[in-house]
Amino acid sequence: MTLAPAAKASWSRGRIRTLGLVLLLLLLLGFPQIYPKSYVMGVMCRILLYAILAGSLNIINGYSGQFNIGHAGFFCVGAYSEALFAMKIGMSFWAALPLGGIMAALIGLVVSLPTFKLRGVYLAIVTLGASELIRLVALNWEGLTGGPMGVKGIPAPVLFGLRISKATRYYYIFLFLAVLFFFVTDRVVKSRVGRAWVAIREDEAAARSLGVETARYKAMNFMYGAFWAGIAGAAFAPYFKFISPDMFNLDEGFNILSMVIIGGQGTLAGPAVGAVIVNFLTEVLRPVAQYRMVLYALLIIGMMWLRPQGLVGVSNSILAERKAWRSRRKAAAPGGAAR
Amino acid sequence: MAYYISQLINGICQGSIYALMAIGFSVVMGVVGLVTFTHGEVIMLGAFASYYAFAMFGNHLLVGILASFGASFLIGVVIYKVCYERFFDAPHHISLLCTIGMSMLLKNLAQILFGPNFKPLLEVLPNRFYGVGSVGISLVQLTVIATVISLSLLLFLFFNRTRWGVQLRAVCQDRKAASLMGINVKLTSMLGNCIGCGLGGVAGMLLAIYYQTLIATMGGPAGMKAFSASVLGGMTNVPSAALGGVVLGVVENLGITFTNASFRDVFAFLFLLGVLILRPEGFARKLGNRS
Amino acid sequence: MTVILEARAVCRYFGGLKAVEKVDMQINEGQIFGIIGPNGAGKTTFFNICSGVLKPTSGVILFRGEDITSLAPEVIARKGMARTFQNIKLFKYMTVLENVKIGLHVRTRAGLASAILHSRRYQDDERFADQKGREILERVGLSEFRDTLASNLPYGLQRKVEIARALALDPRILLLDEPVAGMNPMETQHLSGFIRQLQADGYTIAVIEHDMKFVMGTCDQVLVLNFGQKICEGPPARVRADQGVNEAYFGKGQLSGGGAA
Repeated sequence: MTLAPAAKASWSRGRIRTLGLVLLLLLLLGFPQIYPKSYVMGVMCRILLYAILAGSLNIINGYSGQFNIGHAGFFCVGAYSEALFAMKIGMSFWAALPLGGIMAALIGLVVSLPTFKLRGVYLAIVTLGASELIRLVALNWEGLTGGPMGVKGIPAPVLFGLRISKATRYYYIFLFLAVLFFFVTDRVVKSRVGRAWVAIREDEAAARSLGVETARYKAMNFMYGAFWAGIAGAAFAPYFKFISPDMFNLDEGFNILSMVIIGGQGTLAGPAVGAVIVNFLTEVLRPVAQYRMVLYALLIIGMMWLRPQGLVGVSNSILAERKAWRSRRKAAAPGGAAR
Repeated sequence: MAYYISQLINGICQGSIYALMAIGFSVVMGVVGLVTFTHGEVIMLGAFASYYAFAMFGNHLLVGILASFGASFLIGVVIYKVCYERFFDAPHHISLLCTIGMSMLLKNLAQILFGPNFKPLLEVLPNRFYGVGSVGISLVQLTVIATVISLSLLLFLFFNRTRWGVQLRAVCQDRKAASLMGINVKLTSMLGNCIGCGLGGVAGMLLAIYYQTLIATMGGPAGMKAFSASVLGGMTNVPSAALGGVVLGVVENLGITFTNASFRDVFAFLFLLGVLILRPEGFARKLGNRS
Repeated sequence: MTVILEARAVCRYFGGLKAVEKVDMQINEGQIFGIIGPNGAGKTTFFNICSGVLKPTSGVILFRGEDITSLAPEVIARKGMARTFQNIKLFKYMTVLENVKIGLHVRTRAGLASAILHSRRYQDDERFADQKGREILERVGLSEFRDTLASNLPYGLQRKVEIARALALDPRILLLDEPVAGMNPMETQHLSGFIRQLQADGYTIAVIEHDMKFVMGTCDQVLVLNFGQKICEGPPARVRADQGVNEAYFGKGQLSGGGAA
């Protein structure tokens, strides 16, 4: 097998992918001109917001295999941070945005610390509890957060003197953040850090025996995922102009989780696809909104039955296994496998 | 002082409901070997089953127990078929996600069927109080504690004196060995799962009677408490789970005397965190090779 | 002759079960050291203690003179001890090259910031990982399977990939747990030669094995465990002739022919 044909084949595949992404980007940039209706713009904004939320959850669940189902908590921290920084000390949006991410990352670190030695499901419960704890703090610390009344009248971002408050204009902020997220995450995932995360997911004991400092990388992973959820929250607060604790409850956490499960885990495209599908279904099913959650639940169950890694999730992973033990036993038996 | 004593009694009473929830959860976990998120919803369904049973047949405790146990038992069959049967050989996160989906399904179906509001369940038992001044115990509390103790005794007899019970314990300890002994592991697992769910259902009824209200979304916090309490026993040890439930109830009720009542549900989480940090595998000796 | 890996009075109890009982061991640099014993003798448990996966109930492990008893496995790996596993712990769904690249983790440095900025450090690392990975596969003779999914390889090759991945750490000592299990005589001989070649290249190797021909033909020094205790140690010839060893494997009764050699 010579090197040249293989190189040429991968060169054109990579080129096609880049071309496809550029086209997509152009389409998204021009979208408001094609379809300036503010309702559609609102839906697009939600899709982009959730692409970041689902994407950041996927980093934790899909790439390092840690079980986080309390992502709404980080979303909450980011949103409240931005809102409170902006309203209590008049900080500009552009400064409060990264700060929201950093606050969420710190909370992510705190959540991941007691869980290094815990098995998957214990971690899941702890993340669930942490998410609820965050919401309860927001609910009860009335002096800081306004309690159940929430925070109203969050000031809109100002860019070059222009107030950005309409969905059509805000769309570009979400688009910028989403593109930034995918661009940066793509780089991280294709590096030594990303490889370490995937090694931890596939076989943590083997990874440790090869020198991968699993505790450190798991914490880093949590912080990275939490950071972007915080960014999403910080962008969301002035967009919606109002936030309250029950917007970040467990249902919201499951909402984000279902996007990752349905769309796909362990790939960059998966959560984006999930965000599109779930939000599209939300709009389509508005007249029968109650059945929306029923449908998501059925989709999750269906995915686990048919394709555990999600629609465009990573197939080469234990995430995609439905019959783990049999294949492992076949390989381990002396004289087994293809001889 | 009287206040603290009455809170303690509240704690023990509530704790016994939690104990029943945790016992049911531990039975499921021990027999099936997979963690479930559905227990909260099963508890909720038991509560609603008893609600409708009381409405149809009058306020008889036994009616409520049968209805709640039966309804949750049947739901257990559905949960088993959908979330466990296929996935015994798969990585655990798959069945876990399936149970998450199942709990979402049950919760939202319940909201559609039963409506999203609180439903009152008043005066199932006469409002009698035995005590001196403000320190004493109500009939409701006595009934709750008595019910839990009776059911626990029945469970103990079942596990130790009946053939099915012994088979269940065998499956808990070692599935392979049990199947080699000719035990129908699939059926036994399903039975164990359904019994655990049934107990959860009765716990749901007790919750509804105690708080005199129920709502379709009560499953979430209930499931969390069941989980937290049973962690004390390493998730599969029934007596430790019961103890965990009582301790949780007491901690919770004494805790809210110092803080806000809305922090009630936080104590379950803090309790859980405490147990996990101190001793992740629980305080009881492990039954078998569950890992 | 420097001692590279030493165990002093290592014990490991699981409740009442004495899995490893007061085992002393000294592996000299450059040796091929074999550990043999009947099934359940505690060999893998002992390896697990050496590599940090398990902590001993008592006793110390010294690696190049340093006490590593309480260190985490990843720290020990970084210090130069690599190992393979009895049940092959390959990353099943990664390609062979990707598996080896994980092994190169300790020899690269790029962190989160470097990755995001595609800094010099990141670029060097990626180039190094790719290059070195290919080199190692070349040396082990697995180049043609570079882009094959690890789980698609036949059993014997999977074992080799695991060894290649361990070599990627550039370790001072290699711990191999039953490397020839499931191999036919030809493959076994080939691997034996490969291990001796590694010794010539300067590696120290400790091997757990059941295959007597392999052990006798490859190892310089052999240690025998039975029921967690060391019952014999020495060059292969001496171990083969030892009465205690023969009894451990073949028993004392009539069927064993009174100590067959």
